[in-house]
Amino acid sequence: MKRIVVVGGSVAAVTTAQSLRVEGYDGQVTALSEESHPPYSRVPLSKGVLAGRDSVESALLPLPSEDIEFRTGLATTADGTDRRYDGLVIATGTGAHRLTGDNDLVVRSLNDASTLAARPAAAHSAIVLGDGFLGMEVAGTCRALRLEATVIDLVPPLLRLLGPWPAELAVAAARDHGIRIRVAPDGLEVLDEHRVRCGESVLTADVIVCAAGDVPNTDWLCCRVAPGAVAAGDVVSSLPHGESARPYRHDPNFRTGQSGLNIKISGELPLTGTPEVPAGWVDGRSALLRWRHDAGTAASVAVTHRLPVIKLKRLGAGVTSAVPARTTRLTQGRDHDLPAFRPLRSARPRPPRRSRGPGRPARQSERVSA
Amino acid sequence: MTRIVVDFDRCEGHGLCEQTAPEVFRLNDEGELHLRRDQVDTEHEGLVAAAVRVCPVAALKVQP
Repeated sequence: MKRIVVVGGSVAAVTTAQSLRVEGYDGQVTALSEESHPPYSRVPLSKGVLAGRDSVESALLPLPSEDIEFRTGLATTADGTDRRYDGLVIATGTGAHRLTGDNDLVVRSLNDASTLAARPAAAHSAIVLGDGFLGMEVAGTCRALRLEATVIDLVPPLLRLLGPWPAELAVAAARDHGIRIRVAPDGLEVLDEHRVRCGESVLTADVIVCAAGDVPNTDWLCCRVAPGAVAAGDVVSSLPHGESARPYRHDPNFRTGQSGLNIKISGELPLTGTPEVPAGWVDGRSALLRWRHDAGTAASVAVTHRLPVIKLKRLGAGVTSAVPARTTRLTQGRDHDLPAFRPLRSARPRPPRRSRGPGRPARQSERVSA
Repeated sequence: MTRIVVDFDRCEGHGLCEQTAPEVFRLNDEGELHLRRDQVDTEHEGLVAAAVRVCPVAALKVQP
């Protein structure tokens, strides 16, 4: 009997294993996970799970079907057992990039989040090293737990990732949430578990969280080219693309929840220039935004604006879609200037308008088909 | 007979259920999810189970 081995236990691994069954593969399918948990979603780790609002169990995903062997708690390096395969799926994802070593507090796995969630109870302040999506989410969660939160990085928050306009919007929301932001262009140094040197000054906090990016989990691979091997998930970008493999189609989608903003992005980042605003209200931080690139492509961003993801994708792909007709183009600022986003002036923002389809039945939390 | 329970507060219109089981799930032009059939027969049970698993926001459930 043919056997496909999927190495990894997260969303990419489970989806690949399950897709083999959906597509009709009737050989043996085995998924091997290093972690002790069943598959889970990483999305709530830096938010609800870290805040202690959501249980660990709430992050768990449904188990694969019974015709898939799912094994947890296995070391992905040589553990003395050879596992033969006819087809191999590399889906080991990425791990946290650590600045000082294994004792760094990070938010990558469910165990990391549980460990860290136990800390804020006795803490009053936190320093977050890294101001990307994860760092800003963690800082927002710390603020929600009433900790003083300072984010430190070598570059301004989210700037390289998002581009200046959306970064400014997110930073304004972060500052309103009381997150302190320090940029240390000359470098920073972690002195011990409570102190960070940042330029001339030394900052102290009860907890230091490292959110400095991630590294692919490929240490266990003894070679990087082999017949019958494919990859899925975050690990893909670190592996060579085989000559006989079909072209890889990247589907750029991003989402982050931080400082009261829920941001969904469809399209390539970063975004330069100022966007169109097909719907919503930028000052109220609830808007649909679209950037058109010179190459004819577009990117769409929903900021705390309810819009089905598939519609956001269509908008990002430049397909005209039936979004509300009122389109305003922001006139402040030119391309590459500082963003045209103006800080919130009104203390009582207008309630966000929700976009709903015209024939949509009344909303209900559950609709059941018998 | 299997019932599909959709949590519309969670559903964000990713459309993966429709990709997996187009005979059962459909997203309209507005990106809103509709169920094509009221009852899930044995023939579609496997596909529906796969669609439930693939939902990135866990908005779908199957109840016996």
